Amino acid sequence: MRNPLVKRIPKELASDWHKYLVIILFMVGMIGVISGMYVGRDSMIAAIKAGKEELNLEDGCFELSHKASDEMLDSICTGGMADVKQYFIDEGMKEADEKVEEEIEKELRSTVEEAIEDGVRAQCEAYGITDEAMIQEQIKTAMDENFDSALDEARDSDEFKKAVNEAYEEAHKEVLKAVDEEWEDIAEEYKLNDPGFSPVPVKVFEHFYRNESEDNNNDGTEDATVRIFKSDSTVDMASVIVGRVPENKNEIALDRNHAETVGVSVGDNVRISGKEFEVTGLVSFVNYLTMHESNTDLMFDAFGFDVAMVTPEAFDELPSRLHYNYSFFYESEPADKAAQKDTSEAFLKALITQSVVYDNELKDYLPTYLSQARNFAISDIDGDSTGTGIFCYILIAVIAFIFAITISNTIDKEASVIGTLRASGYSKGELIVHYMSMPFIVTIAGAVIGNALGYTAFRGMAVNLYYNTYSLPTPRLVWSPSALVKTTVIPLLLMFLINLFIIVKKLQLSPLKFLRHDLTKSRRTKARRIPAWSFLRRFRIRVLFQNMPNYAVLIFGVILSELMLCFAFGLTDSLVNYGDKAPEMVFAEYQYMLMGYKDKDGNVIETDENTAERFSCHSLMYPKQKSDFSRFEGMGSGGDESITVYGIADNSQYISLPADVPEGSVFASTAFRDKFYLKEGDVLSLHEEYENKSYEFTIKGFVDYDGGIAVFMSNENFNKTFDKKSGEFSGYFSRNEITDIDEQDIATVITVEDISKVTTQLMHSVGGFIEIFKYAMIILAAALIYLLAKIIIERNEHSISMVKILGFKNGEIGSLYIIPTAIVVVLFTLISLVVGYFLMLWIFHAFLLQMDGYFAFYMKPLSMVLSVLYLLVGYAFVSMIDFFRIKKIPMDVALKNVE
Amino acid sequence: MAENFLEIKDLMKSFGTGEAKQEVLRGMNFTVNKGEFCVLLGPSGSGKSTLLNIIGGIDTPDSGFVSINGDKLEDMDEKQLTIYRRKHLGYVFQMYNLIPNLNVKENIEVGAYLSDKPLDVEEVITTLGLQDHKYKYPNQLSGGQQQRVSIGRAVVKNPDILMCDEPTGALDYKTSKEILALIEDCNKKYGSTIIMVTHNEAIKYMADHVIKLRDGIVRHNDINDKKIPASELEW
Ligand SMILES: Nc1ncnc2c1ncn2[C@@H]1O[C@H](COP(=O)(O)OP(=O)(O)O)[C@@H](O)[C@H]1O
Ligand SMILES: [Mg+2]
Repeated sequence: MRNPLVKRIPKELASDWHKYLVIILFMVGMIGVISGMYVGRDSMIAAIKAGKEELNLEDGCFELSHKASDEMLDSICTGGMADVKQYFIDEGMKEADEKVEEEIEKELRSTVEEAIEDGVRAQCEAYGITDEAMIQEQIKTAMDENFDSALDEARDSDEFKKAVNEAYEEAHKEVLKAVDEEWEDIAEEYKLNDPGFSPVPVKVFEHFYRNESEDNNNDGTEDATVRIFKSDSTVDMASVIVGRVPENKNEIALDRNHAETVGVSVGDNVRISGKEFEVTGLVSFVNYLTMHESNTDLMFDAFGFDVAMVTPEAFDELPSRLHYNYSFFYESEPADKAAQKDTSEAFLKALITQSVVYDNELKDYLPTYLSQARNFAISDIDGDSTGTGIFCYILIAVIAFIFAITISNTIDKEASVIGTLRASGYSKGELIVHYMSMPFIVTIAGAVIGNALGYTAFRGMAVNLYYNTYSLPTPRLVWSPSALVKTTVIPLLLMFLINLFIIVKKLQLSPLKFLRHDLTKSRRTKARRIPAWSFLRRFRIRVLFQNMPNYAVLIFGVILSELMLCFAFGLTDSLVNYGDKAPEMVFAEYQYMLMGYKDKDGNVIETDENTAERFSCHSLMYPKQKSDFSRFEGMGSGGDESITVYGIADNSQYISLPADVPEGSVFASTAFRDKFYLKEGDVLSLHEEYENKSYEFTIKGFVDYDGGIAVFMSNENFNKTFDKKSGEFSGYFSRNEITDIDEQDIATVITVEDISKVTTQLMHSVGGFIEIFKYAMIILAAALIYLLAKIIIERNEHSISMVKILGFKNGEIGSLYIIPTAIVVVLFTLISLVVGYFLMLWIFHAFLLQMDGYFAFYMKPLSMVLSVLYLLVGYAFVSMIDFFRIKKIPMDVALKNVE
Repeated sequence: MAENFLEIKDLMKSFGTGEAKQEVLRGMNFTVNKGEFCVLLGPSGSGKSTLLNIIGGIDTPDSGFVSINGDKLEDMDEKQLTIYRRKHLGYVFQMYNLIPNLNVKENIEVGAYLSDKPLDVEEVITTLGLQDHKYKYPNQLSGGQQQRVSIGRAVVKNPDILMCDEPTGALDYKTSKEILALIEDCNKKYGSTIIMVTHNEAIKYMADHVIKLRDGIVRHNDINDKKIPASELEW
């Protein structure tokens, strides 16, 4: 026979359907969204990973100044280093030999000429000829007649041969010495003398591109830079999201994300460097998942940069300079991250040497594992789940507690029944199972529906979110066991364990205690004394005291809700704040980074712009080991934060530092201070990223700058610290554009727009999501409060019914039961605004430590007010529902002794 | 009729400590035969419920023992006690303690579920005169009807011992007599041993065996040869 208690469950569900509906919706929403995010993420990652093989993702690329010869490519493919030293020696010798030969010839000629002249003069003297003109005449004749034979004669003499040999030897020695010295420098700079070097055989493919100007609305002005590859490329191919690849000369396929961001769709026409193309497809290149134009870009820019493909014919007709870019593939795949680094560095050495000996120039080198365009999206997609997961578990725990409290109230209410059942022989286990089934069923229902939605609607939502931000391939639906574990198994377990714990604890009491309604473990010996206030007031205090555990959960719920609201409001505010502060994020309107401080001809690069001011900078690493947070995989810098060290001119117009700061003392940016909690007098130990070299700096003070993690010192100290020659510098700050420096010498220019670009991109990617998130949080908070307030009324149903019988009016009863709750809610909403705000600061900071850079958490005062207001309005609404609930409680609850 | 089916020996029980200590049972001795209708009589507060609870295995004595069919309760652990109650006992309380969201039939099934040898639920419902109410919920029933359901829940198990703690304590005269008649019926029809706690002297006339308690000890232990049917009781 089936346990007849089972029949209660559907009835229970039916009678309290709104509560369970709210809970199920809550769970469905949460599990759905989170499973959707996990599944969406896993689908995305699966598609990205599959693209590596299917679309032939390069292991890296390099660019040369001109097209490589076949021999050069063959040499590069061996992966070995060329013998640069020998090359230098050969070149040097050749040059020296030519020079020596030239010198000797000159010397010989002048010696012979001299000898002939001397001979003629001696003869003339013997004949008594003194007329200089005559002498010259004679010399000329003698030269004409004898020079060649005399020259040959002199050449054949042993004396001459000896001298020649000596000269060559001397010159060769000199060459060797010079090469040795130069080699020493070069070898050290590129670490070419590495005895551990082993060749890195690769396959190399031409993958030329052009950067053209794109006018996507046909208004004649440039809207973006578009990097165009050939459509027949067999490496770094693209997956087609919409349409098809170009087949005719006038067709083009654009990056999907860029196209959607700027509002171009298939069938539209765009102008590429003046020529009209029809867009036939929107694609995602396997090596451009984000629109990073350069690997050093602060942020990708889907507005201003595009990657596209055209047919080879069209490609050849494009006007801009051809970039001789080559893709390489390792013959044997490096096993892990460390091997990636070693292999790519070894290959770089090979490349540098080969380009030297083949008289080509290496313009750019980027191994794929360091490519932002490839990895930024991956690490972002892969990484941002921890927070959501934890958030989900906290919510589940809250629901579990709500359930546990509800059940514990039910148990209290049904104490006599439970006592009777136990007395009649129902075992504890049977009752535990009975009371557990409700939360279990609801969680299972929530999990099943949630997962179903997760794999359908919410997955699409998550994918769209990623699509909005990144240039991703078509996702593949994958079965995601990790999502199942995280969204279903863990919540179920959490729900199960928390409820089990509370129910088991609750049912531990003896049947007799249940029968006697004696359910508190330790009986209160004395009733609390309450001052002689008015009756109603005392009554309220009693209500408060009696419902302590319920209020504890309510307070927890209020804090959680407020935290969610702070998070929702704070995120938007912080983003807007970041945008507003963009102008403060740069030191100067223009910041020029130069390739070197001297130009090709060795002259120091100068400008006539009078607001220009020299500065130096250098990047060092700051160990983050202080934080316990493990870093996300993906980016290059390991566990360390990259710090920019600035050398600033004395009396700078852009950054003011006190004069006469001793070497070894620095000023840190406020962003640096706030991220790592630095204070004056702290000693920073910074080290080089790729060298085993470290520096210690004492913090002398702080510079008000939130744009980056940086330290500042005087230019002079900078040059001393980093062994630079005095007068060396890295670039110019300027208020106006500098026009008199050769483009070739400028590495990058940073302007306010570059910073704004970051915010615009960020807003575009996540702005909508955050807005949705905000409202989801508000609804969640309201649902939480609703459930918790409901529990309090339920719990007091019996006494409410009783006071009704005694003749209290609904209004009075409402004031008795709702006012204490209201007081608690209002009080704790205010308290939890403070708690929530600081908790948010802490969470945000913890989150920040996992990433590079700095992004301040900010909440507008208005947002603070609003977050409290939303919660209180939500609560007011719930109170109204409560009041109706109280009105509806019939008097016979107390009279009908059905227990 | 099995002799000494239930044996109570030197049972002592006190509550509280120190000054507040109250000795409720102070050496209680008696036996009950199988199939007997036994009434425990005593004024309110005399320890009747406490005694009944100890017999039912939901409370424990400080000393002394209860044995049923030769099995001492004190030798049983919690699990065995549960099984003991499940197999052998039916409980009826002054409060009906029905499950509010189960109907009459279902409430009775809750008892039937526990037993290896349950009676037919429909038959019990008929016996209790609840045919017309079997789909009603407890809050749609009168007190007497609720108590019938509660008796039904206990009786349907076909228990060896039916324990009733003031089953008529909250009911009026007429209804009380009906309930007592039902319990009498169960005793006759199914042969259950009945142990009924009451403070109502009149009820003793329907019992086989009357045990009067006062101040924690047995004052009178009488066998009643001339028992009358419940319907003829008057008070
Ligand atoms: N759990 C308990 N704790 C303290 N005192 C108790 C407890 N149970 C019963 N008593 C006391 O024991 C006495 C007997 O109670 P009870 O057996 O219920 O009496 P009766 O059922 O005869 O009216 C009463 O005075 C009561 O106050
Ligand atoms: Mg009693």
